[in-house]
Amino acid sequence: MRRRPLIADVAVLALLVLYVVPFFWQLLTSFKPEAELLRVPPLFPSRLTLEHYGVVFAQSAMPRALLNSLGVGALATLAACALGVPAAYAMATLRVPAAGALMLGIVASTAFPQIATVSPLYLVMRGLGLRDTWAALVLADASFALPFVIWLMTRFMREVPRELAEAAALDGAGRWRTLVTIYVPLTAPGLASVALLTFLSAWNEFLFAFTFTATEASRTVPVALALFPGVFEVPWGDIAAASILASVPPVLIVVLLQRWLVRGLLAGALTE
Amino acid sequence: MGGPDMALHTLQPSSRPGEAGALLDPNARSSKYAARLLEERRAAIAFVAPAVLTLAALTAGPALWVFWLSLRQRVPVFGIDRFAGFAHYAFLATDARFWSAFRVTAIFTVTSVALELLLGLGVALALRGQRAGRRSALGLLLLAWALPGVVTARLFEWLYHPAAGLVNVALGVRFNWLGDPALALLALILADVWRTMPFVALFCYARLLTIPHVVYEAAAVDGATRLATFRFVTLPLLVPVLLVTLLFRTLDALRAFDLMFVLTGGGPAGMTETLTVYAYRSLFQTLRLGFGSAIGVIVFALVMLVAAAYLTVLRRQESRA
Amino acid sequence: MINLEGSLGRGRGPGFDVMMLDVIWVPEFARAGWLLDLTPSLAPGELDAHFPAAAAAARWDGRVWALPWNFNVGLLYYRADLLARHGLTPPRTDTELARSVHVIQAAERDPKLDGYVWQGKQYEGLTCNALEALWASGTTLLGPAGEVLPDGARAEDALARLRGWIDRGISPPWVSAADEELTRRAFGDGRAIFLRNWFYAMDLFQEAGSPVRGKVGIAPLPQHVTGVPAPGSTGGSLLGVSRASRHPEAAVALARFLAGEIAQRVLAGGSVLPTRTALYSDPALVAKRPHMPAFHDLALAARPRPVTPAYLMLSTSLQPEVSAAVVGVKSPARAVADARRHLEYALSGIR
Repeated sequence: MRRRPLIADVAVLALLVLYVVPFFWQLLTSFKPEAELLRVPPLFPSRLTLEHYGVVFAQSAMPRALLNSLGVGALATLAACALGVPAAYAMATLRVPAAGALMLGIVASTAFPQIATVSPLYLVMRGLGLRDTWAALVLADASFALPFVIWLMTRFMREVPRELAEAAALDGAGRWRTLVTIYVPLTAPGLASVALLTFLSAWNEFLFAFTFTATEASRTVPVALALFPGVFEVPWGDIAAASILASVPPVLIVVLLQRWLVRGLLAGALTE
Repeated sequence: MGGPDMALHTLQPSSRPGEAGALLDPNARSSKYAARLLEERRAAIAFVAPAVLTLAALTAGPALWVFWLSLRQRVPVFGIDRFAGFAHYAFLATDARFWSAFRVTAIFTVTSVALELLLGLGVALALRGQRAGRRSALGLLLLAWALPGVVTARLFEWLYHPAAGLVNVALGVRFNWLGDPALALLALILADVWRTMPFVALFCYARLLTIPHVVYEAAAVDGATRLATFRFVTLPLLVPVLLVTLLFRTLDALRAFDLMFVLTGGGPAGMTETLTVYAYRSLFQTLRLGFGSAIGVIVFALVMLVAAAYLTVLRRQESRA
Repeated sequence: MINLEGSLGRGRGPGFDVMMLDVIWVPEFARAGWLLDLTPSLAPGELDAHFPAAAAAARWDGRVWALPWNFNVGLLYYRADLLARHGLTPPRTDTELARSVHVIQAAERDPKLDGYVWQGKQYEGLTCNALEALWASGTTLLGPAGEVLPDGARAEDALARLRGWIDRGISPPWVSAADEELTRRAFGDGRAIFLRNWFYAMDLFQEAGSPVRGKVGIAPLPQHVTGVPAPGSTGGSLLGVSRASRHPEAAVALARFLAGEIAQRVLAGGSVLPTRTALYSDPALVAKRPHMPAFHDLALAARPRPVTPAYLMLSTSLQPEVSAAVVGVKSPARAVADARRHLEYALSGIR
C-alpha cells in the first residue's frame, strides 16, 4: 500500500479547522458577556454568561418561532407523505395513464425557482385568507417537497418484490391494504429518510416563510432570525444564541440520524 | 436538491403492447381482463390524483400564472390590475440594474459551483484515504450543509465583522468584507461555498467508496503514478457523479436567495444583488407584482435553459458510455 | 408594507381603530382606502396650530387623512467646544464646513476624530439625505407636474456633493454603510465634529454621562449654493383612523385628543417632540430643553418629503442609485439617469 500523501492530511486538517471553528466561534459568542463581544483580541471571554439566551427566551420572538417551525415542519412532512406515498405506490405498481409524462412533469417541477412561484402563491394565500397562518406554510412546504417524496418513494417501492404483493392479492387484500401492510413497512427506512429530508427542508425554508408570514403568530425560525431586532447596534451575542437554538433540529438530525439522511440524499443521484 | 436528471433513470411506460386492442374489442375473451385493466386505471388515478391536484394547484398553476402576471401591471395596494403586454420585459432589456443583477448572478453561480466541485472532490479524495474519524468528518460537513441559510448568513455576518470578526482577527487585517464593493461578492461566494461544498463532497465520497480496491492495486501493479491513477482510473468513474452534482448545484445557485438577502441584502450598492434579490425587492418592497413577476419569469427561463443544456450533455455522455 | 396590505386590505376588521403612521405612509394609505377621511370631523384651521411641514404630510388630494403627532427635522449638530477652541463659528456653507473640518483635524491630530458624518446606507435615511442634497442644489425629486428629477444637472450636482464629502476626506468612508444610530453614537462618543441627524438625538447628547454633554451646538444644514436655502427634511408620525373601524367617532375623538395641545405637551415632557408650534415657546418645555426655540426656527424652515402615494415606491427605487453614487461605483450622471428611468417606469405603472 502506498503511503498516504501529506497533502491529504493537510487537507483534512484544514477541513476540520474551517468547519469546526465557525460553529465553535458562534457558540462561544453566545456565551460571551455583552461588553466583551467587540473587544477582540482576546478571543476567549473572561467568564461565560447566559444573558443572551435569557434575552432570546424572554424578549424575542424565537420561542414562538421555534414552536411555529416545529408545527409547520411536522404538518408539512405529514402532508407530503400522505399525498406522496399513495401516488408513489401507484406509479410503482399500477398502470398510471401517461405515467411517463407525469413523472417527467413531477421531476421537472423540482427545478421551478421559488422566486417565480412566490408572487402567484402570494395572491393565492391572500385570496384564501391564509396569510400569517400555519396553513399557508404547510401547503407551500408540502408542495415543495412532494415531487421528491413521489420520486424517491417510487424508486424504493419498485424494489419491493412483486411476489409479496401478489401473495397479498391472493389473500384478498385490496390495493390500499397492500400498500399499508406490505409496501409501507418494507420501505420504512426509505420513508424515514424522505420524511427527514422533508422536515429539514421545511425547517430551513426562508423565502415562502418570509413572504407569507406577518407576525409572531406564524413566523418560523429562519424568519425570526433574519428579523432579529437590533435597536441600536446589532446584538451579536443575542443573535448567536438565537442561531444556536435555530440549529438544534438540524444538528440532532445530522448527529443522530446521519445514516438515514445520507441514504435519502444519495438515493437521489446514484444508481445502484 | 434534485433536478430533472432524475427522469432519465425512472421513466417506464405503463402500457403494454396489445392492451389497447384488448380494451377496444368488445367480443374479446379478455373482457374480464379489460374490466380489470379499467379498474386498475381507476385505482391508479385515485391514488395519484390528490398529489397531482396539489402540485397542479401549488406548483404548475403558479408557474403558468406568473407568466400571465408578468404581462400585467398589478399593484394590489392601489387596486391596479391591467394588461401591459411585454412592457416590463422591454424595460428590463435596457435596465442597468437588471443587467448588473444578471452579471452578479452569473459570476456568483459560475464561481461558487466551480469552487464547490473542486473543493468537494478534493475533500472526498482526502477523506477516502483517511482511516479514523471519517464518519465524524462527514457529519461535520453535513452539519454545515444542513443548517438553515439564515443561520449561515448570520454566522458569516459575525465572522466578517470589520472590527471583531474572526476572519479579520485571524488574518490580521481590517477589511470591510460586507461593506466594500470590491469584496462583498467574494465574501458572499465564500460563504456559499462553505455551506454547499459538503453536498458535493458527500456524493463524490459515496461514489469513491464503490470503486473496488482491486482497481487501484491493478493500477499500482502496472506502475501507474498517483496522478495517472487519478486521471485514468478515478476521474472517469467520477465523471457521472460530478456531472449530476454540477447540475443540481448550478440550478440551486441560480435560484439562491436566503444567503444573499440576509447577509448583504444585495448591497453594497447592488454589488451582491442577484436576480432573485432584485425580483424579491420589486415584488414585496413596493408590491409591484407584475414587474417583479417578469424578473421571476426570466429566472425561471434561465433555470430551465440551463437544465435543458445539461440534460442534453448528460444524455450524450450516457449514450457514449 | 405587504404585512399591512394583508391586514388592512382584505376588508376583515383590522382589530385596530387608530394607527400611528410614519410621515411617508399617509398618502399611500389614503389612496389605498385604509384611512378615514378626517376633513368633515375637523374644525376649520385645526391643522394651523401645527408646523406647516408637519401639516403638509397630513393632507393629500385636498383632504385631511391624519393628524400630526410628533416631529423630527434634519439638522446639523456640531461640537461647539471644538469650534470655539479653534476660533471657528458654526458653518453656514459647505466651504465653511470643510474648512472647519480641516482646521480642527489638523490641530487636534486625533486619527479617531472624523469630520462630517451622515447617513449613507442604502435605506430610507439615505433618501432623506439625498432629498436634502437635492433641495440644497436648487432642485427637487418630483417636479410640479410630477416629472422625476426635473433638473438633471442640479440632481447630478447634489449626488456629486454627497460623494464629494467622502472623496475629499471630510466624511469617513464608513458613512456609506451608516444609519442614524451608528452616526449618532459616533458623534455622541466624541468621535465626530459634525453630524447630520434629527431632533431626537439632542436629548441623548444631553443625557447624564454623555461624553458630549453640554458641548453640542445645533445649526441649519450647510448651504451648497449661495442664496439657495438648505432645509432639513421632516420625520415623525401622525395619527390616522382606520376606515374599517367599528367605532369611528370614538376613534376620531381619540386621535384629536392625542394630537391636541394637552396630550402633546405631556408627551413633549418625555422624549418625543411635538408638532404644535406654540409648545416650542412654552416656558416649562423650554426649561427642560433650552434649544427648543432653535428647533422652532428649524422646523418652520423644514420641508416635507414628497407627499405622494408613490413615495415608498419612489424611495426604494431611488435608494440603490444614490447608494451607488455615494459608494462611488456609479458616476452621479449615470446614477441620475438610471434613477430617472426607474422612477418614471414605476410611476407609469400606477397612474
